[in-house]
Amino acid sequence: MYALIDCNNFYCSCERVFNPKLEGKPVVVLSNNDGCVISRSEEAKLLGIKMGTPAFMFEDFFNKNNVAVYSSNYTLYGDLSDRVMKTLIEFVPRLEVYSIDEAFLDLHDLPYIDLLELALKIKMSVHKRIGIPVTIGIAPTKTLAKMANKFAKKKRKDVGCFWAANDKLIDEMMDSTEVGDIWGIGAQYAKILKKNGFQTALELRNAPEEWIRVNMTVVGQRLLNELRGVPSIEWEFIIPAKKNICCARGFGILIKTKHELSEALASYAANVGEKLRRQKSCAKTINIFVQTNPFRRDDKQYMRSMTTDLPVCTNNTAMLIKYALKVLDRIYLDGYNYHKCGFLALDLIPEDQVQYSIYDAVESPKEKTISKTLDKLNKVHGKDLIRYAAQGYGKKWKLKQARLSPCYTTRIDQILKVKN
Amino acid sequence: MQTLELPYFSIKVKAGFPSPALDYMEEKLDLNDIFIKHPQSTFIVECIGDSMIGAFIPQGAKLIVDRSLTPNNGDIVLAVVNGEFTVKFLKKNDYKCFLVPANKKYREIEITDAMNMQVWGVVTTIMTETKDVRKCML
Repeated sequence: MYALIDCNNFYCSCERVFNPKLEGKPVVVLSNNDGCVISRSEEAKLLGIKMGTPAFMFEDFFNKNNVAVYSSNYTLYGDLSDRVMKTLIEFVPRLEVYSIDEAFLDLHDLPYIDLLELALKIKMSVHKRIGIPVTIGIAPTKTLAKMANKFAKKKRKDVGCFWAANDKLIDEMMDSTEVGDIWGIGAQYAKILKKNGFQTALELRNAPEEWIRVNMTVVGQRLLNELRGVPSIEWEFIIPAKKNICCARGFGILIKTKHELSEALASYAANVGEKLRRQKSCAKTINIFVQTNPFRRDDKQYMRSMTTDLPVCTNNTAMLIKYALKVLDRIYLDGYNYHKCGFLALDLIPEDQVQYSIYDAVESPKEKTISKTLDKLNKVHGKDLIRYAAQGYGKKWKLKQARLSPCYTTRIDQILKVKN
Repeated sequence: MQTLELPYFSIKVKAGFPSPALDYMEEKLDLNDIFIKHPQSTFIVECIGDSMIGAFIPQGAKLIVDRSLTPNNGDIVLAVVNGEFTVKFLKKNDYKCFLVPANKKYREIEITDAMNMQVWGVVTTIMTETKDVRKCML
């Protein structure tokens, strides 16, 4: 059996751990730059707030309904996620972290006969120890576990756990699941399936194998197996190293000068450099883009992106900044209101497989030490404490995070203050 | 939480002679191991106010709070009363439950059915500089 455990409205729940006043009140968390709603408490859902709701259009609505609005605090969410995952691993032999708020648990070879009892125990433990409510779905395959989780949220709300323990329960669950809600079925496939008369997961499971093979290829066959209770999706315990890394963000304000744009770009390059070093990769190619805000109809519009090969594969921030600014020189045009820029590192290869030619300026041990020290200091004392001068100090362009909660668990100057 | 290493002992090494102490080297002490039994459920909070100075919790003291522990009678707890955090002694018997301050200036709070009270976590350790402890000894 597999379990899929999922933290309920995770970002909102994280805010609630350190702010119990929010209990029972509508809470939303906004995306980067306070753009749109990316997490909603149950109360916020009941008010009719949808995922992706643009925050600036709903300012009045939020005020009127006493909705607590937060900028996303990924430092806090990341730490609480880590605590949840480490708590889960105490209960099971194997676990696959699927996203910041989801994990698959391996429930094979456990001394429990009643897995629902185990699920309830896990749910209570995570809530007591960390304060995060979770939902658990248990079923014979990953795809069905994912479905069981959704089913638990819909139909077993009071328990928060569902074990598809026998054929009757599996059928009930599949009958109430639309094909579009099956894990791995995108909007396109959902459309095709519905057109061919498959409305629910149950109908799809009973589809003729031949039809699936012709219309949905190998992916469809794997899915069919999963729906029929034959595990066909492998465990992914090690997160594969990313093949490219990107840092692209809109600015808090519009930027007009090249100087400010270069500060933002240098900072994004530094961010990517740090990520590259963390996963021990080097970039061979970089892509830089700049763009204006297409929603500002009165503004002149401009968007340009350029890709360039680096003379030698690197993850050294100074090098990345140097070439990023060279590219910016070529794509920057005066007289536009810039809204966003981005830095992409492409063609990544492992650090220890970089090949140098005899003419290459190989990164000296000294430069390596600088990078290492920089990463270490910034990890302890906060992002960007030590930075390259090109990143600037003003940071007018910085992300808008007007409603950021403190980093309660990672910064000693921001821990919870309790009045006595 | 960041690891703080305390040397178990320190020695000066004279050039040319291997240190006789090397054979006796042990793992360094780690405050995390000593004071944090359950890292996943442990949080640090800061105290503002003087209602607990009798328990040697001065203003600014940092408290290690473990959410995984079950609160017992007599524990110092971080409680939530009607949405507000507070640190107090927990006093309870079969019939009643109180949050008790450690300062005569303040009164104990009896938890009634009308109140919404939860124990957020149990305070396991008080971290404070010794110079601040004097304020507790009035």
